[in-house]
Amino acid sequence: MKLLALYLLALLDGLLCGGRVSMGRCALIHKRSYYTRALLRGLLSAQAVSTIALLVLLGVASLSSHRAELRTDLEAAAARMLWIFVPYAAAVVGSLALRILPSTDLRSATSVFALGPFTAIRPVIMIVGVFYGIAASRLMETRILGLFVLSLMLSLEYFLNRSAGFRQAREIRQLI
Amino acid sequence: MFRAWNPAQPEITDLIVRHDPRTLERLPVRKQDVLDVFASFQNRQALGAIETLPAPDGILDAREIDRLFVTVHWEMQRLSEEFYHGPRVYEVIRAVIATIRARGFSGPLRVVDVGCGIGYNIRWLAARTPLASQGVELTGVDLNRALIKEANRLSTAETLPCRFLHGDAFSADHSGQIYLSTGVIHHFRGEALLDFLRHHQRPETHAYLHFDFQPWFLAPYGSWFFHFLRMRTRLARHDGVLSAARAHTADTLVQAARTAAPEFASGIYGARIWNTPAPRVFHTLIGVRRAFLPGLQQQFGRLASRLGELR
Repeated sequence: MKLLALYLLALLDGLLCGGRVSMGRCALIHKRSYYTRALLRGLLSAQAVSTIALLVLLGVASLSSHRAELRTDLEAAAARMLWIFVPYAAAVVGSLALRILPSTDLRSATSVFALGPFTAIRPVIMIVGVFYGIAASRLMETRILGLFVLSLMLSLEYFLNRSAGFRQAREIRQLI
Repeated sequence: MFRAWNPAQPEITDLIVRHDPRTLERLPVRKQDVLDVFASFQNRQALGAIETLPAPDGILDAREIDRLFVTVHWEMQRLSEEFYHGPRVYEVIRAVIATIRARGFSGPLRVVDVGCGIGYNIRWLAARTPLASQGVELTGVDLNRALIKEANRLSTAETLPCRFLHGDAFSADHSGQIYLSTGVIHHFRGEALLDFLRHHQRPETHAYLHFDFQPWFLAPYGSWFFHFLRMRTRLARHDGVLSAARAHTADTLVQAARTAAPEFASGIYGARIWNTPAPRVFHTLIGVRRAFLPGLQQQFGRLASRLGELR
């Protein structure tokens, strides 16, 4: 259950990364379909990352001589990670929800005081969350898996951003 | 970093594109000339950004510069979207238009966005408001041909009722009843600011609205943080923060407007958030013909408290 919660948070993170890297790269006014594609791209990338993580986890589990202990250890690490990731995700989603309110000042304030800073601390939150999760782990496998997943999630936005950058540069080269 | 915030220096975008003031044709720009300007300010951030610009034979590659400008303006549109700049422009312009209409002016009204870039304000007004169907002609004018071409491409792609023209916004061909600009006015300093505002004193012009950064001591820091997070090009990161540092104070703007355009009652709109001491990121220099002054406050309705003293 805890691993499932982490998986759902990874999908949410991928979704928001997809949206973030697409911003500032399309100058139309009506951009619903553009953002939908960007969000979907982020979601699918997070799904790909999660699938890789799952395959590695299954591989490690199949080679492990103490599967039950590994499962318990992974669940415990995941539970600790959720203590960091869930409040962060709630704060991000809450800030986005505030944009429903019909006040331009309040909506802008969410960018300045919430979404901007939350974007800035995302890598820190990921590192702190994973290290807090694996710090009390008893098994080396759990620690290595945690660091592997961390490296995947940290590289997700980088690759999405590079890919969006290439598409934008190509589009502008075609225009000018 | 702080040398990059020296308000005495120009922005990179002020220097890497030059036009003949008479024909408005693009002029070649020597990269070394631009580097020399920022070297004199010891602005290493600017020097680093300029070094990356391609310059075969020492002359900046015009096509690459155009591509960079379009890239930067797409990014800048993102900031406008995040700050809900379209709705902010509309809340002011709607009241100004209603005031002009209430005084019996029933003919077509042309809104001219000066230095419109890729025309976000005008395209937003065309796409999201009923202005075009109410006899308001939405026009953007810029000296940069590449940006105007992009503005027209974008408006055509969405079939928006607006148009964009290359040229001088204050020329007889392009003049309008309401002038508008965003992030433009701080580019004019000293006598040039007075000249810019003097251009409004033409018989057909009824009002002007110039949106720009509001200077206060935290503005460059906030701008740096926001540009660091949101902007991707070195040029945008540099010029965006320098813009906040170079922004004119409300006093400078109002004094200049009252001196250069005395036919207009001018003041500042939207300086404070919810009437608290907290400043908005942008404030607006607003000017209207004195004949329109009595009805203006009423047309702002519940937003009237945002309107400073106009005289």
